[in-house]
Amino acid sequence: MSEDAAAKIAARLSELWRTSRTTVLERLTVLHSACESLTRDPADNEARTAGRETAHKLSGILGVFGLPQGSEIAASIEQLLKSELVLTPQDLSALRDSIAHLDDVVASKQER
Amino acid sequence: MSRRVLIIDDEEDIREVAALSLETVAGWDVLVAGSGAAGIIKARENHPDAILLDVMMPGMDGPTTFRELRSLPETANIPVILLTAKVQAADQKRFSDLGVVKVMFKPFDPLVLAQEIAATLGWQDL
Repeated sequence: MSEDAAAKIAARLSELWRTSRTTVLERLTVLHSACESLTRDPADNEARTAGRETAHKLSGILGVFGLPQGSEIAASIEQLLKSELVLTPQDLSALRDSIAHLDDVVASKQER
Repeated sequence: MSRRVLIIDDEEDIREVAALSLETVAGWDVLVAGSGAAGIIKARENHPDAILLDVMMPGMDGPTTFRELRSLPETANIPVILLTAKVQAADQKRFSDLGVVKVMFKPFDPLVLAQEIAATLGWQDL
């Protein structure tokens, strides 16, 4: 691949991120809401599904924009919410920590 | 040799980045569709050389879209690569068992996506 092609892709990715980060931030809000709902009711399947599907989407996109750690964290959230079992207090604590970590990873990209 | 690839994904960002990658790196013609139903129509009308198909989409998901493509004479022989965020081994096997050429994972590297597709399909022109 030519240097021109690599530069063109990098420039376009940078442009795309400026619009995509709004969607990413909205998805983080969905994750926070799901976590709050699950904290109130760990058996809330609607919140779990919303959180799992949102985490799946974030897992697929963040690495494309140079945030592979974000994709990994989102994938771990998806796996946590995929379990058929009611979430334990330990699960919920891990969920909160992961979402906070994801916030930090995305914020670090915004500040670049 | 010019190739034509159809990307079916409900995520606009994924469609844009994948199309950018395939057009810029490989010089392929790229068609995009935002749903399984729209993708089937484009595949029937344009006969792409390959289809990159997302798994999790609202409405008609990737596996359902794939089965529909296989059932239609015009699209039955088009190679399909499933594209999905990382999944567990059991899901990966379930997707592979559908009969797709390969299951590829998001996030992909836009700089190497075209080479990975070419290698998968045995296309020597990259």
